[in-house]
Amino acid sequence: MSKGERTTATRGAREKIREQQAAARARDKRKRVITYVAAGAVAVAAVWAGYWYGVSRSDSEDATGGLAPVAIQADGSVVMAQSGVDKPVLDVYEDFQCPACKEAERVSGQTIKNLAAEGKAKVVYHPITIFSQEPTRSNSLRAGNAARCLTDGKQWVAFHDLLYQNQPSETEEGFTNSQLLEWGKKAGVTDPGFEQCVTSGKHVQAQQAYSQKIMDAQKLNHTPTLKLNGTEVDNSVVFSPSELRDAVTKAAK
Amino acid sequence: MRLPIPWVTTAARLVLGGVLIAAGALKIGNPSDSVLAVKAYQLLPDTIAVTVGYALPILEIVVGVLLVVGLLTRVAAVIAALLMLAFVLGIGWAWANGLRIDCGCFGGGGQLGAGQEPAYLLDILRDFGLALLGAWTVRFPPGRLALDGALGLGGDGAYDSADDLADDDHAEDQR
Repeated sequence: MSKGERTTATRGAREKIREQQAAARARDKRKRVITYVAAGAVAVAAVWAGYWYGVSRSDSEDATGGLAPVAIQADGSVVMAQSGVDKPVLDVYEDFQCPACKEAERVSGQTIKNLAAEGKAKVVYHPITIFSQEPTRSNSLRAGNAARCLTDGKQWVAFHDLLYQNQPSETEEGFTNSQLLEWGKKAGVTDPGFEQCVTSGKHVQAQQAYSQKIMDAQKLNHTPTLKLNGTEVDNSVVFSPSELRDAVTKAAK
Repeated sequence: MRLPIPWVTTAARLVLGGVLIAAGALKIGNPSDSVLAVKAYQLLPDTIAVTVGYALPILEIVVGVLLVVGLLTRVAAVIAALLMLAFVLGIGWAWANGLRIDCGCFGGGGQLGAGQEPAYLLDILRDFGLALLGAWTVRFPPGRLALDGALGLGGDGAYDSADDLADDDHAEDQR
């Protein structure tokens, strides 16, 4: 074998080795890409599944029927129940300015109304003022006062919902008297005394006194607080319509 | 030269991943709280805030787990670092706008209780530090004790062997 032939042979062998290496590298790369994509897909699926679970847990109910009869009590609390239904009692302690109350209303408000309408619970709303700082305290007091100016139960519920839909930020003055009057009109108030009642802050003191009384008697740590037959309902249940429904239905038995 | 860089990456991964898992786990039991926390920043429209509130805890956990086990290290570290930077911006925004909220970082509804003071600076420093750990991991993935390394997925291990092959070729050619 001449020197030239030998070199060619070595070249051929080298070429072959290189091809094999290239093939091995390509295989490796393919394996890497597949593993990467698979792991990525599992991760994305996990995020999606968790998100979907969270959303479905707090899936709100639709309005099923009408509203149960609503009666405004002398102390400012509001009872919503079919006639004759007096248990289980679901007490709702809420502050119109509290963001968590707004969120609870968004998620579970309809379930509470449905349960009352179906005659499965006697619902009692207790609007109170928990804030001690401005501007939230004044906002809450104005809203609480305005709610106390209403005399018709159905309008009260409509007004209650409007307050939450339009809840101001906690950093700015909101629930202004002119807004409250406008929402009152939207809720169907025609009573000529309403405007005077709202602008004069007629029930502000009653609202303060009632809030103090409720907080002392019920030992509330936060709003919203829901109590079922006097026992506090866990927040994770409050914010899960289906679990709230189960808890109330069970208490009815 | 043997620098402890891969071990530093491992430490960064464990710290960042551990914090993310803890933060997500404390929030995931009550997604409504985390929706509230996002809303408390008053930075996003309500519908987006709701989506973010539900998605964030689970995203934190998944990314945290990926970092701890060292799988898809670089991608996970990029997401984690971006998350931390977003948190820094969010808290800075709350601070600049005079919002009095707790960061909602480890659960909680983002609302301060009576008499509580926000600790924005501490929150920002912590999250920025965590973002740096993420950046380090992006630069030097995947570190020791990483699934990526074991599976030959990118990172030092795989690149090194590829480099070795290339080096061998060169060496041969030069002979």
